[in-house]
Amino acid sequence: MDEEPERAKRWEGGYERTWEVLKEDESGSLKATVEDILFQAKRKRVFESHGQVRLGMMRHLYVVIDSSRTMEDQDLKPNRLTSTLKLMEFFVEEYFDQNPIIGNVLLFEINTFFYICFDAGNPKKHVAALKKAVGSTCLGEPSLYNALNIAMQTLKHMPGHTSREILIIFSSLTTCDPANIYELIKTLKELKIRVSVIGLSAEVRVCTILTRETGGSYNVILDESHFKELLMLHVKPPPASSSSECSLIRMGFPQHIIASVSDQDAKPSFSMSHLESVDEGPGLTLGGYYCPQCRAKYTELPVECKVCGLTLVSAPHLARSFHHLFPLDAFQESPLEEHTGDRFCQACQGELKDKSVFTCPACSSVFCTECDLFIHDTLHCCPACIHTQGAS
Amino acid sequence: MKLNIEGLLVYFPYDYIYPEQYSYMLELKRTLDAKGHGVLEMPSGTGKTISLLSLIVAYQKAYPLEVTKLIYCSRTVPEIEKVVEELRKLMEFYTKETGEKNNFLALALSSRKNLCIHPEVSSLRFGKEVDGKCHSLTASYIRAQHHSNPSQPVCRFYEEFDAVGRQVPIPSGIYNLDDLKDFGRKKGWCPYYLARYSILHANIVVYSYHYLLDPKIADLVSKELAKKSVVVFDEAHNIDNVCIDSMSVNITRRTLDRCQTNVDTLQNTIQRIKETDAAKLREEYRRLVEGLKEANVARETDIYLSNPVLPDEVLQEAIPGSIRTAEHFVGFLKRFLEYLKARLRIHHVVQESSPQFLKDIYEKVCIDRKPLRFCAERLRSLLRTLEIADIADFSPITLISHFATLVSTYSKGFTIIIEPFEDKTPTIANPVLHFSCMDPSIAIKPVFERFQSVVITSGTLSPLDIYPRILDFRPVTMASFTMTLARTCLCPLIVGRGNDQVAMSSKFETREDFAVIRNYGNLLLEMSAIVPDGIVAFFTSYVYMENIVASWYEQGILENIQRNKLIFIETPDAAETSMALEKYQEACENGRGAILLSVARGKVSEGIDFVHHFGRAVIMFGVPYVYTQSRILKARLEYLRDQFQIRENDFLTFDAMRHAAQCVGRAIRGKTDYGLMIFADKRYARADKRGKLPRWIQEHISDGSLNLTIDETVQLSKHFLRQMAQPFRREDQLGLSLLTLEQLQSEEMLEKISQIAQQA
Repeated sequence: MDEEPERAKRWEGGYERTWEVLKEDESGSLKATVEDILFQAKRKRVFESHGQVRLGMMRHLYVVIDSSRTMEDQDLKPNRLTSTLKLMEFFVEEYFDQNPIIGNVLLFEINTFFYICFDAGNPKKHVAALKKAVGSTCLGEPSLYNALNIAMQTLKHMPGHTSREILIIFSSLTTCDPANIYELIKTLKELKIRVSVIGLSAEVRVCTILTRETGGSYNVILDESHFKELLMLHVKPPPASSSSECSLIRMGFPQHIIASVSDQDAKPSFSMSHLESVDEGPGLTLGGYYCPQCRAKYTELPVECKVCGLTLVSAPHLARSFHHLFPLDAFQESPLEEHTGDRFCQACQGELKDKSVFTCPACSSVFCTECDLFIHDTLHCCPACIHTQGAS
Repeated sequence: MKLNIEGLLVYFPYDYIYPEQYSYMLELKRTLDAKGHGVLEMPSGTGKTISLLSLIVAYQKAYPLEVTKLIYCSRTVPEIEKVVEELRKLMEFYTKETGEKNNFLALALSSRKNLCIHPEVSSLRFGKEVDGKCHSLTASYIRAQHHSNPSQPVCRFYEEFDAVGRQVPIPSGIYNLDDLKDFGRKKGWCPYYLARYSILHANIVVYSYHYLLDPKIADLVSKELAKKSVVVFDEAHNIDNVCIDSMSVNITRRTLDRCQTNVDTLQNTIQRIKETDAAKLREEYRRLVEGLKEANVARETDIYLSNPVLPDEVLQEAIPGSIRTAEHFVGFLKRFLEYLKARLRIHHVVQESSPQFLKDIYEKVCIDRKPLRFCAERLRSLLRTLEIADIADFSPITLISHFATLVSTYSKGFTIIIEPFEDKTPTIANPVLHFSCMDPSIAIKPVFERFQSVVITSGTLSPLDIYPRILDFRPVTMASFTMTLARTCLCPLIVGRGNDQVAMSSKFETREDFAVIRNYGNLLLEMSAIVPDGIVAFFTSYVYMENIVASWYEQGILENIQRNKLIFIETPDAAETSMALEKYQEACENGRGAILLSVARGKVSEGIDFVHHFGRAVIMFGVPYVYTQSRILKARLEYLRDQFQIRENDFLTFDAMRHAAQCVGRAIRGKTDYGLMIFADKRYARADKRGKLPRWIQEHISDGSLNLTIDETVQLSKHFLRQMAQPFRREDQLGLSLLTLEQLQSEEMLEKISQIAQQA
């Protein structure tokens, strides 16, 4: 957010009681607390892993962003809307990265029913749409009922083995509904649609009930970083309810075929997924992924084949999704003083300088804070373990 | 869990206990040990009721000879029901733990309206109608007539009860109102009379204040209760007003007109009886000569709770000759009535003391003090003799007779104010005679004298020392308990200025000030945008609320508020208010959000709880001083100053602050609840006001929350609401504000607990 030109004047904003966090140590120095804060900031981690639970790997997530009057509020900088959209961009990328098999993020705004994007499986489009929405003005009162209703109409038709989720970013404290929302909540519950809410201002009763009934989570943000943290909680697939259907899914693993220009037979062709979009040029390319069943061509994976309906993925996608099922155990944290042995991180080979070190319970390798974060957030496997496996 | 409270084994029906509950029980036990009275303040929502019940029941079990009965007085029927439910839980726990069958009898008592099972009578809507109808079916002469003339209707439930009910005691157990009705239906007994009879040997009685404090009712219901009882007044912060109301009499022209009809009826009936059954009147006369000897004997042997309407002198003397015969008495009443009528025909305000009034009445119509004093007793006897079925019709004349007795009995503590018109409508003549009690101790004195221990408790009793002074008793314990909290779930803020730095206050001089009204409006508008679900706003009076709301409407503030939340308004009409309340709750429930504009001292501020989302913020606009120009109040203040050395201002502030505390206390009903308490008046920041708030609120007012502007308030509230919205689990409370038995027994915790109670 630093690059953002700050539109709000500082004095218009809230009091940030930064001084309250700081505490002097015996010698009157602030150094210790400052370091502690920095350290804490580095190490925010998500950690209670569920162990061996069935997770809903194929997700259909509807993200609904409030765009009522209250989004103009400047308690998030520069205002709630911009801040939210910015974080959403990050969220979308992260989401597709972590849930590559089939991810549907569908975004739209509540009160005006102005769809930002209604396309599945392509993060770029979402991001573009989010960027476009940044400047838009927010007016009027939101209606939780209408938003849920529209989301429900779409999600209703998703297959039963996938998870159906709605995530609402709710900034307002009021909702002007055309009908009794409790009826709708009942329907949502029957359809096994999980609704989660992230509140931007305070706890609203109807959201508490909505999320409790449908099995979602309800959180209220404290500040921007907390907001981001809460959003990231939704990246991880939720545990599947035991009653949801199980089914085998046919999947195709197309090879990427690059036709060399010199090849005379090669003709540029359209990607099936681009046929409907008008704004992105002709989309004629030489190579691509060909559906093993019907030979339709796609430039990007994962995708559902438009022609025969086969789910097309690549093997790495599948593998990436697996880490949710077999999460890497949290490393043991121990103070640096107690650590005996090499003072080097196994991963980056840097010197261990932070207060704590992290030990992998499997191979007892030692890592620094930053590597620990990288391993858990991105790699999802311990490099040292893999190394030893490979060696043996 | 089983607790050891200074050597007393107390069964507590929950697995966890709040530290303040433990502390409360300690204090209560000390009160009982000393056989004295106590004043205990503990915040609402911290389990006051169950602590009280657990301890007193345990005490009763341990020392059955010391304490035989618990009389638990509460305010409303739902509160009574709640107490009984808690008691039931406790008793189940006892049975489970000790394995033996309980021989405890506990029951709730309420009016006939809530207990009647007679198909016709119970379908009536108003309490008075039910009482009257019941009386017309169960009075002794009606039943006597029934014997000779079977077509005369009687209540079969009462008949059944009368025939067998008294011999067979009600089986031990816990009875709430519905249980009593069920039991009554099963046996065919009248639940009301059964309950009234059973309270004599019940171990625990739960009923309303009035059964003890109102002399008219107390005489019927409570006078035979054992001396070794413990009396608990719950939610007793208004007990002085209840006492005063129960002793005061207001007489309007309408009352007098209806009295006139009553007197005529009496006269006709006497005439008729005289022709048919003169012996009956002679019998009555003889009885009156004998005097009220019997009643006197009873009082001397200490069987009854003394009745303040029936003073000792009356009992020792026979009814004076001048009113002994029925005709003479009716004539006497007529004269008295005419005198009162003449007094009401005035054009200026008159205030006089009882002796002055007596002197005047003697000069004008030659009515002596002595017969006046016997008036109430004589009328009762007459009504009984004349076999008048519908007592309800005779309420005006009964009222007048009470007035006559009181005015001639008490020369101190009462005042008579005759006003030719109401203050609000000085052009419409509507003369009222207020016979106003200024000394609450008169009504409550018999209770303190009779019962071994009386405990006065509530969430808001600060400052504690004022209650013993105005009620004139000497407590052995006075303590105020704080609320131990795992998170600061209440946030009192004192807003003193608007964003334009204009001071906000509801004081008289600035009341009409445009800037103040606008700032109040802005405050509500800003709060409506950031507080979720329900906001309750209290004004100091209906008039003030009307003015402000009208002015907000003109300034367009209301329109802006309505974009955030719906607005509901309390009115003096009970039906309208309960409708508004219902809709308010609905709006909070389905997320639209709502604001309830109500009045301190109104119905909403007293009995209605706004748990969780129903009240996320309470805004108190102004300091709710009582209307100080009222003559009754002025007389009372003067009396307090002269008799109890309480300065006017002290009392007014005390009264205002206890109402303010009541209002803001509506939002917090437990430890998991949270709410903002906004005091919108700069006068709250002063130490004399702030110091009179209950300790559990005062603790959370830091210097940083005094004299804020509106936008500062908004910032603090936003921060608070976000903090509170973070997940809060029971584990977070454990060890801090919620204890297991082991934790309770640790030295460290006992040390902490000893600090919770602050002795006044």
